[in-house]
Amino acid sequence: MTARLARWSLLLLTVFLLAVWWPLLKDLLFEYRYGKTDLFYSPVLERFVYKELLGEGHQFIYRDQDGTDYDRETFETLIPFIYYKNMELWGRLPLSLAGRSFDKAQIQAERQVLELDPVELPGHAPRIPLFPLFEANPGRARLRFPEDIMRPGERLAFINSDANRLDPELTRRFTAALTEAGFAWPVQDTFGRVSILKAFDAGYFLLDHAGDLFQLRRVDGVPEVTPVPLPEGLAVRHVKVAENKRGEYLGLVLSRDDRLFLLAQDEARRSAAGLIPLALPGYEPDRMALKILFNPLYRTAIYSDQREIKAVAMDKGFEPIASYDRTMAMAEPRLVDRVWEALVPFSLDLRDPNGRYLRLSLDVHGPLALPGIGLALVLAWLLLRQRGLHLPSMLPTLLLVGLTGLYGLIAVALIPPEAPHGAAGADRRLGRAPVPGAANA
Amino acid sequence: MLAAVCLKEWLKVRWVWLGLLALHLGMLLYLFIAIRHQFRVEHSEMIWYWAFELRRLLYEPIQYLPLVTGVLIAAAQFGPEMLGGRFRLSLHLPLRGDLLVWSWVAFGALMGAVLALLDALALYWIIGRWFPHEAAVSAVRTALPWLLGGWVGYFGATLALLEPAAPRRLVYLGLSAALLALLFQHRGYQEYDQVLPVLVGIALLFIPAVILPAHRYRHRS
Repeated sequence: MTARLARWSLLLLTVFLLAVWWPLLKDLLFEYRYGKTDLFYSPVLERFVYKELLGEGHQFIYRDQDGTDYDRETFETLIPFIYYKNMELWGRLPLSLAGRSFDKAQIQAERQVLELDPVELPGHAPRIPLFPLFEANPGRARLRFPEDIMRPGERLAFINSDANRLDPELTRRFTAALTEAGFAWPVQDTFGRVSILKAFDAGYFLLDHAGDLFQLRRVDGVPEVTPVPLPEGLAVRHVKVAENKRGEYLGLVLSRDDRLFLLAQDEARRSAAGLIPLALPGYEPDRMALKILFNPLYRTAIYSDQREIKAVAMDKGFEPIASYDRTMAMAEPRLVDRVWEALVPFSLDLRDPNGRYLRLSLDVHGPLALPGIGLALVLAWLLLRQRGLHLPSMLPTLLLVGLTGLYGLIAVALIPPEAPHGAAGADRRLGRAPVPGAANA
Repeated sequence: MLAAVCLKEWLKVRWVWLGLLALHLGMLLYLFIAIRHQFRVEHSEMIWYWAFELRRLLYEPIQYLPLVTGVLIAAAQFGPEMLGGRFRLSLHLPLRGDLLVWSWVAFGALMGAVLALLDALALYWIIGRWFPHEAAVSAVRTALPWLLGGWVGYFGATLALLEPAAPRRLVYLGLSAALLALLFQHRGYQEYDQVLPVLVGIALLFIPAVILPAHRYRHRS
């Protein structure tokens, strides 16, 4: 019995490992290099245009939403705010659009890109909850790392990095400042951008126990706390901080019910000044990467998963004026994917495209896999028959192959049933108790 | 009887285990000195930035230590058994064969676990000397799949050593290598936090599995 249990343990182990490694091997052999579609709102056509890779090599198409194709240079002239450096090179500046004229300086001053990737969301990546709070007024050209780190919790503790010890004075001062501003302890979440390569430091946004949001900066060594006005009933899930020298928006705020807001900036104080709602139908932040492109005429939100890309063009007041969505070329099933789905009934994906955590998510191929299962069952039956097994004793193994297809077949071929004359008979011949198990099928 | 089995296993592995203990202490001392050196030559806040934001693992030098330990303990325990048919004699002891095999591997796994515990405690202490408590906990959690690698290495080597047929040995080594490769896929800290319970469950399949090569050895030779 224990020998049978041992064999079945090894069969399960083999099936598991094949289901994890085979898909990785398939991806290695039949690499997937089609990138995502580049989608824009053309201020020239006032329609959406896109660039897409259709196949191997350089099979790019440049097309508008009505299906009209363009050559590359014409395509770039349709989105001149994106390719403004080429426009300059080609002598097309200043641009005349919508009855206005735009030179290079104007275009540069109004360009901004805000991005939010699923991997940045809380719970999508491990995070050691310690944050360096930069001096926002460093009195020099560039920000520098402080010699202490912030530990949000029941209070706002600071740990000195040289001594690896708590700094009681900083801890008391910053905790008191937050308490005075009405902060409800403990800190629920902390959001910020840890980089010295940014235009300025907006500090951190701390979510308190009551769900209120506070911006905390260190200005000349002193805490500066600014409560962020939130719309009634808004539960904050994430704040993407993106300090930008344009000085109009500090970043994005995502609510727990997947609504997205722009975080407006009080330019003079570099602090948050309120939220602007964005209407993004079908946006699913846990699996869609989002970009918001700003140009002198429009704002365009583009968001996509691995299959679909959607876009909403808005005027400067964030009122939607057009929207578009399409299934990307990279989502079209390839022959190798169809063959793969017919060969094996499922696979286990180790990597999560939307997070840093490793996981084992089951991708079931369903009825598509029936040809592979059928083939595996026939081969398994032949294999077992060759080893002298009759149908009743084959059934458990055939059931495994029926459920796991080629994985099960390979497992059975690698670890076949022991010969029927195994343990029990040998034990009897040797006059000893059966050890460690009996023959198994 | 079990006490006698344990004594026999201890006599087999003691020198290798003591050598491994020295290796572990040496590697942990090296880790201590290497991190101390980093903090002497770099600004502390920059090293914290590397560790927390850039996700560099300063303790990576010890990642394969448990794996080497598991393989060497298995080799010390079962290598001599497989020479000159001594394993057959062992299977004639008045104890159920499966219990006998499990008691051997329990002893070997326990010897490995003692060293794994030493690694985990020392890693927590070393990282905790220069980093806040959160980073020390994170380091131990990051090292858990490496410690599980010791378990897989031990059982993979045990399966291969007890197996009488060379082709099947290759199968066991291949399976163990495939599972081991799953444990070293990190690109930063704590990426196994969610998947580790599943991998532990899979690695536990080795406990019943280790009976099969012993069964095959007994009934083939």
